[in-house]
Amino acid sequence: MISAAPEYVVLSYVAYFAVSVCLTVWVARTLHRNGRIFLVDAFGGNAALADSVNHLLVVGFYLINIGYVALALKYGTKPFDTQTAIEAFSTKVGWVLLVLGAMHFFNLYVFSRMRRRGLLQYVPPPVAPVGRV
Amino acid sequence: MRGLVVLYDARCGFCVRCRRWLEAEPKFLPLEFLAAGSSASRARFPTLPAPEEAPEELVVVDDEGGLYYGAEAWIICLYALRDYREWSVRLARPALRPLARVAFEWLSRNRKSLSRRLGLTPEEELVTMLKPMSPSLCDLDARRSLSDVLGGFFR
Repeated sequence: MISAAPEYVVLSYVAYFAVSVCLTVWVARTLHRNGRIFLVDAFGGNAALADSVNHLLVVGFYLINIGYVALALKYGTKPFDTQTAIEAFSTKVGWVLLVLGAMHFFNLYVFSRMRRRGLLQYVPPPVAPVGRV
Repeated sequence: MRGLVVLYDARCGFCVRCRRWLEAEPKFLPLEFLAAGSSASRARFPTLPAPEEAPEELVVVDDEGGLYYGAEAWIICLYALRDYREWSVRLARPALRPLARVAFEWLSRNRKSLSRRLGLTPEEELVTMLKPMSPSLCDLDARRSLSDVLGGFFR
C-alpha cells in the first residue's frame, strides 16, 4: 500500500473545494434567477414577498451545499500521484453534483408546490350542486 | 361562489364540534352556520324540506342557491377552507369520491353515538341539563364561599 502524498492530497482538496463552491454558486444563481417568476406567480403577483422568499431559499441552498462540501472534504481515498489525485477529485465532485441535483429538484418541487397552493384560490368548486332552493 | 350556509345538526355534539373547527380554520369563502330545522333556517330557506322529512344528512346552500347534501356538502365545506381546498379537490375525484361518500355517510349515521363516545355534549342539551338545577348555587353567599374555596385552592 502506497501512502498518500501530502502535495497531491492538498492539491486535490483545493481543486475540489474551489470547483464545488463555484458549482454551488452557479446552481444557486440559476435557481434565484429562474425561480423568481414561479414565486411571483405563486404569491399572486406580490413581487416583494416573492423576492424575499427567493432570497431565503437561496441562503438555505448555500448553507446546505457548502456545508456538505466542507464536511465531505476529508473523506475518500487519499491520492499519491496525478492519476489518483484526478480520480479522488472527480469522485468527490461527482458526489457534489449529485447532491446539487437532488437539492435543485427538491427546490423545484417546493416552487411548484407553492405555485399550486397560490393557484388554489382560483380552482372551481369540485362538486356540482344537486338542486336549488 | 362567494359564500356558503351550512345547515348542521345543533343537537349533536360532534356536529357542534365540527362547526367550531370550521369556524376556526382560515377560509377562502365565508361560512355561515344555521341549526337545521331552526326557525332561522326555515325563515331563510322556506322551500327546504324539514329535517324530519329530509334524509339525515348535512345540508349546505351556496350564495347562488345551489344545494349540496351529504358527502358533497362535506366536500364543499372543505373547499371553502384555505388549508383543505386541495383535499376537497382530491376527494371529489372519481377514484376517491366513493370512499369519501362511505366515510361521510358513516360519520353522519353514527354522529350521535360518536358524540356520546367522545363525550361531546351540544349546548342545547347542556342548557336543559343545567336548567332544573337548584338556583342556590348561584346566589351570592354560595358564590362567595365557592370563590373562597377556589381561591384557597389556587393560592
